[in-house]
Amino acid sequence: MPEVEFTIDTQTGELRMHIHGIAGPACDDVARLVKELTGEPGHEEATAEYRLRPSIHARTSTRIQSRGT
Amino acid sequence: MSRYLAYPEIVFRDRELMLAALAQLGFAQVEEGEDLPLFGYHGDRRVETAALVVRRQHIGRWSNDLGFARSAQGYYPIVSDYDRETLLGGTFLSRLRVTYAERVVETVRTRLRGTVQRATEGSVVKLRVRY
Repeated sequence: MPEVEFTIDTQTGELRMHIHGIAGPACDDVARLVKELTGEPGHEEATAEYRLRPSIHARTSTRIQSRGT
Repeated sequence: MSRYLAYPEIVFRDRELMLAALAQLGFAQVEEGEDLPLFGYHGDRRVETAALVVRRQHIGRWSNDLGFARSAQGYYPIVSDYDRETLLGGTFLSRLRVTYAERVVETVRTRLRGTVQRATEGSVVKLRVRY
């Protein structure tokens, strides 16, 4: 299950975020949402998990119609 | 006379969340506009201006106006050194950041239609949003 982990330092108010369980740039959507609310982060790093690109299996179905002649 | 200090490194990107965080801390009455003047506790007008202002009457007897200026990145606080040291026991800026951050988490949770788990480890709060 995808998870966004936020860490708030109550002494300083500093906010950190770590996205788990989303391989590939799909986690960019979550990061974009957070940036909309917080602005550009002081530090940003793509984890190894991020670099795992999801494999896409294209499925093509062909329908053959018989023509009545 | 207390001087004003700007904190451009502390940015609140979202106006709605910032107003909500201020209200949660007890500062619900906020004046909005452009280049609003800031006044010190004597009623003396300062050179600094802001886009959002909590007037000193809503803060405390010896307080100065509390301002938030707008930049391309968001709103940043302009606080007198007196208020920085005394407001909410000197924790105003950090508490505003914490309150704002918690509202960010709640907004993310709502938009992702997820659930949140909260855990506290010393002075650190961990909030896990699962969806």
